[in-house]
Amino acid sequence: MAMTPNQNMSTKFRAALRTELPIWVQKGIVSEETEKQLASTYQLDNLKHESSSLLSAVIFTLGGLLLGGGLISFVAANWEVIPTPIKLALLFTALLAFHIIGFWLWQGKNWRRLGHALIFCGCLVFGANIGLVAQIFHVSSNWYAGFGAWAFGSLVMAWATRSWIIGVLVLLTSFLWFLGFQYDNHDQAALFYPLILAVSLLPLAWIIRSRVLYTGTLLGIITAACVLAGVHGGSRQLLLTMAAGGMFMWTLGELHRAAEWRSEFSNLAAGSGLSVLAVAAYVWSFHYLWNPSVFGPMRSQWAILFFVLTIAASVLLWRKGRQPQLWLTTGVLVVGGILCASALLARADAANGESLFTVTANLAALILAAVIIGASLIDERRAVFWLGSLYLVLLILSRFLEYETSLLVKSAAFLACGVAVILAGISYEKYLRRHIRRIAAETGGNGI
Amino acid sequence: MSKRSLLVGFVAAVVVQALILVAVPARKVYTLRTGKTVVLKIQPVDPYNILSGYYATLGFDISRVDAFPNAHNLTNESSAGFADGSWCYAVIEKGGDGIWKPVSLERELPANLPENRAALLGRINGNWIKYGIEDFYIPEAKRSHLADDLREHRDKARVEVKVDPSGHAALERLMVEDRIYE
Repeated sequence: MAMTPNQNMSTKFRAALRTELPIWVQKGIVSEETEKQLASTYQLDNLKHESSSLLSAVIFTLGGLLLGGGLISFVAANWEVIPTPIKLALLFTALLAFHIIGFWLWQGKNWRRLGHALIFCGCLVFGANIGLVAQIFHVSSNWYAGFGAWAFGSLVMAWATRSWIIGVLVLLTSFLWFLGFQYDNHDQAALFYPLILAVSLLPLAWIIRSRVLYTGTLLGIITAACVLAGVHGGSRQLLLTMAAGGMFMWTLGELHRAAEWRSEFSNLAAGSGLSVLAVAAYVWSFHYLWNPSVFGPMRSQWAILFFVLTIAASVLLWRKGRQPQLWLTTGVLVVGGILCASALLARADAANGESLFTVTANLAALILAAVIIGASLIDERRAVFWLGSLYLVLLILSRFLEYETSLLVKSAAFLACGVAVILAGISYEKYLRRHIRRIAAETGGNGI
Repeated sequence: MSKRSLLVGFVAAVVVQALILVAVPARKVYTLRTGKTVVLKIQPVDPYNILSGYYATLGFDISRVDAFPNAHNLTNESSAGFADGSWCYAVIEKGGDGIWKPVSLERELPANLPENRAALLGRINGNWIKYGIEDFYIPEAKRSHLADDLREHRDKARVEVKVDPSGHAALERLMVEDRIYE
């Protein structure tokens, strides 16, 4: 989660810079020449247009969602006075109207966001139409089949229009299909779902540079692999897949940054990997998850693949990466390694392993908290520091609430955590101030 | 990407969506047009919850594996043949009262069935067989009326189903005494 070396192009920062620049020029802090350079570098002239188009995108998408929702409700209301052929004609007309008007606005009138919003609504109408056509003809297939058809039709449209939001719709609908499909005695065939997701959505996210679709697809792949592992393999297998998946996402995110391959994907992907590991370490820090009765047979196909990909990404990362980010990766790999080793060894020592592996999971969670706080120091990101601190506090308090301890001890634990958090916060703020002073000194006291 | 290739891709995507919408009811439409009419008596699956949202979930005389006289023999012979998720053909015969009754369960589609017999393709789920005709969509305005009708005259409730030569079934209408729900 180390911050990208790229300049800060956030709308908030650029808006503040746009307000401040004339004042700096007036006070003689920067010259008019520098002002022009800064305005050009940070594209301050585009700011007004961008913020209004962002607002319009939100409004159009919201409007589209309401329109789609209205149509779905209309479908649900059922209109029995209308003969079947006219119902079908209305359904097809609604679908074509959304798509054709959307495409015309997008390509013909250059209203890109409104056009995309209408095509997205067309895909919602497509899903509603599948449900209504099934109702008209009393089609009682498996409930998940409709979601599969919806996902496939939307996938083709997502590629045709290069739309990330339709891609997200594909992700959600296909995941519902997958859940029903694997539950309905199709375990072996369902094993291929994560692969289908990877092939169908990752290239699209890459081409259109969508961080949300890229990270969402990776999380979808890992979640599906966890479902497949957990349903039949039980607790141990689920932990193995989560830990391997979390490591894979982190190293992939860091590789994006180090190799400068779509470096905009790095923060979200690495952060999501860290979150998967944090959830895994926290959940398995409870001792009853290590009860041998919750262990099932191993189904390691996806966990093994995540391992292989993690190793490949790590090798590349060590060639291209720099310190101190590599230290963070080392910490994450240690955490993932401890969790994976615990999951693999748990069965061998099932009789006595419960307490041992509870300790190893807690150790992994503690190291992870240290990695998160370390990342906040490297990146100077206050929010990450507080997340790491809260994770640590949550871990400590969970242990005190999990085991039978007296109220007095629990009270002491709460007090100690409170004091520790306050002291840590003060130390962090002092560190940031020292760091800023040092940078100011290095840049000749200017600080800009 | 050129405008022309964008347009071609977009038109292709719309056509794919339209084809999916046509494909969803295609099998049912074919069966309704070409199939033989059979009448099945309704056995309520859950008498306390006849309507589940917009649907009535229906069960029939032929919905249970043990309703077929040869089911026990077949299960003993090879339980794998009737494992969960496996397909079967339910042979039924027209009774004197016009209701079609279970005759036998087969693994293959029987050839040369007489006019008073039909074979329905079903899928085994425990002791139940699903034929794809179990969900009956109820129009909103008729929902409460049908629920009352089914509760009061359960013994007189039946469905008219079409069965095509390959065994696929399609629900045509639900009848309670002489009242028809479509």
